[in-house]
Amino acid sequence: MSTPLTLDFVTETMKLYGTVEQARSNRIRIATMPDRVRDAIKASHELLGCDRLLTISTADKGKTFELIYHLTGPHHIIISLAIELPRDKPETQTTSDILPPAGIYERQIHDLFGIVFLGHPDLKKIILNEDWPENEYPLRKDWMPGPETFYGGLMRERK
Amino acid sequence: MAEVIIPIGPHHPALKEPVNFKVIADGEKIVRLELDLSYTHRGIEKAAEKRDFIRVLPLLERVCGICSHSHSSAFAKGIEETMQLEIPPRAQYIRTIIAELERMHSHLLWLGVAAHEIGFNTLFMWTWRDREAVQDTLEEMSGNRVHYGMNEVGGVRRDLTLEQVNAALLRLPHLEDRIKKYVDMVNNQKTLLVRFRGVGKLSKEEALKYGAVGPTARASGVDYDVRSDDPYFVYADIPWEVVTDTSGDVYGRTCVRIGELQESIKIVRYCLENLPEGPVRVTAPKAAPPGEILSRYEAPRGELVHFIRTNGTDKVERVDIRTPTLANWTSVAMCLVNQNLADIPVIVAAIDPCLSCTSRITILNIKDRSAGVITMDELRRRSCTRCYGQEQE
Amino acid sequence: MAVPLTISQRLVNWARVKSPWITLYNSGGCNACTIEIIACLMPRFDVERFGVLTKGSPRHADILIVTGLVTLKQASRLRRVWEQIPEPKYVIAPGACGASGGAFRGLYHVVDRVESVIPVDVYVAGCPPRPDEIINAVVTCLNLLKEDVAHGGKEWRQNKAVETHESDKKTGEVAP
Repeated sequence: MSTPLTLDFVTETMKLYGTVEQARSNRIRIATMPDRVRDAIKASHELLGCDRLLTISTADKGKTFELIYHLTGPHHIIISLAIELPRDKPETQTTSDILPPAGIYERQIHDLFGIVFLGHPDLKKIILNEDWPENEYPLRKDWMPGPETFYGGLMRERK
Repeated sequence: MAEVIIPIGPHHPALKEPVNFKVIADGEKIVRLELDLSYTHRGIEKAAEKRDFIRVLPLLERVCGICSHSHSSAFAKGIEETMQLEIPPRAQYIRTIIAELERMHSHLLWLGVAAHEIGFNTLFMWTWRDREAVQDTLEEMSGNRVHYGMNEVGGVRRDLTLEQVNAALLRLPHLEDRIKKYVDMVNNQKTLLVRFRGVGKLSKEEALKYGAVGPTARASGVDYDVRSDDPYFVYADIPWEVVTDTSGDVYGRTCVRIGELQESIKIVRYCLENLPEGPVRVTAPKAAPPGEILSRYEAPRGELVHFIRTNGTDKVERVDIRTPTLANWTSVAMCLVNQNLADIPVIVAAIDPCLSCTSRITILNIKDRSAGVITMDELRRRSCTRCYGQEQE
Repeated sequence: MAVPLTISQRLVNWARVKSPWITLYNSGGCNACTIEIIACLMPRFDVERFGVLTKGSPRHADILIVTGLVTLKQASRLRRVWEQIPEPKYVIAPGACGASGGAFRGLYHVVDRVESVIPVDVYVAGCPPRPDEIINAVVTCLNLLKEDVAHGGKEWRQNKAVETHESDKKTGEVAP
């Protein structure tokens, strides 16, 4: 598929997954639900011709966490699939079996935000120190380093 | 499961950073790879939320010591897109010149380090000596050899004088001759051919499936370069070509990087000769309107993605950085499977791991039931001995 | 206070000063300082002609160069590496990150100064410092080594610091 995708074509194909809008001249954003995101990714592979995952971006919006999967393909248009997860129970299905690079991104997001990816083969710590306390997720908006999470070096140990 | 643990000591003269990954091996063949990136995690994304657009650029520059201009450009470009600012053409040209000079110094650095990994120290010394010419040019233009500080939201902070332009143009022909010599060396030198050909092969389907970016992907025939797919600065207006190769092994990646070196010199020469007159910056508004940007940039190692969300103040709400090395680790993990242990240094070096990851290799040997610790030096010596039949320094 | 030295001691000190062996420890950060140090070994600056060698193992070294910022993960490892170096040992911390944390001061995964983990002898300013400045730092270290040998150890430097503080307190003046 080397012709650029049009907004109408994408709206037609993806309308049962969520609302479609044109975010930028070469980016189309689809807001979908966590339980439909895997099917949406498969649909974008087959019907829209997207063959690579760019990244999974996250943001803390207060009451929810937002996860956005950015996909692109030979047509040079970026399809962004956005889902929102409730703050008190941030869980979603993993996509690392259909998108192999997602394995690493999901581990990093789990470390920094605490979002649990069900079905991930190996959700271990990847980016924080091994002694980092459990349930401290630094990139959440309400997290501040306190005396228990801020340690290291001799001077502090002496105190 | 007994383990053979191989930490690549952080104190190695030629290894930039430590990245910790466990290689699970069955005898001499590798079975699986695991990863640990916490050695250089600093918490930059959290700090960037508290700094305004002038103060955040020096912080983002220092994410990486080699691709510093890439990070600050990607961010500045993203914020300018939200604010819908038009940057003057002279500023675009200057940003392109610095970007391509950075690509040149990074590829020359990589060539030296890859040669060092196979024991070929002559090439290491030669490439780093030629790299000094690029560093001199950057220092004349920006004042520092690394962390140039040229970008700001709204343009470029410094202008180029005529003397700087002429001095840079005078250095380019010598560099071109040296690079032709490296092409010759890579094609004819037995040392390089034996160690690079057939090692770490990644087919085109695998490169697409595992999300490889940059020269790693282009060496497998995937025609993916952000400068041509999603052009920024002046890449859409000047004549240049994407360099690809079909072999998919370390040799292919070497050829792609040397080809990109030659293209970069052409781009720099064109930009220096055709620098338009005019101002170099526009005054940017203090606050950015709320919005969401995905800013992509072709760093020397591959595609860099900054996802920026702004909220109407003079600070960002969220900046999410995905470095090219992170995208390439999955493909390294896959192409190390069924290779020999001794090829690890070469394959890891071939994706050009950015200094933003720390490395220490742990190898778990299932069959042997033995536990031991080997340093990267020993691994390299082992690989050289296996190949050349004698110890190499 | 000069301490008289035997001939063998003088020989050993001459050898140490004429050919210091360095171990590089990369404790995280952006690695620009590490690259500048490797550039010192390259034909342009070429410190090997002065007898300076980089050695992988800390047990062979005279000088430890800690590049970059100390992240939480590396703090205990850095301490262990430092303890393995035999006396007399010197520590150089190049860059703004070594002195105070640099651009990353106060972030959640960093230790703010190298000094809070190991004692530092020489700081080098810059972000990153040029290779010339790093070579200057090594030379300063060697001068320190000569002075320490003449005074019989490192304690005279710490005593001098304490004496200055004491005399300031007596007169009530603050040193400029």
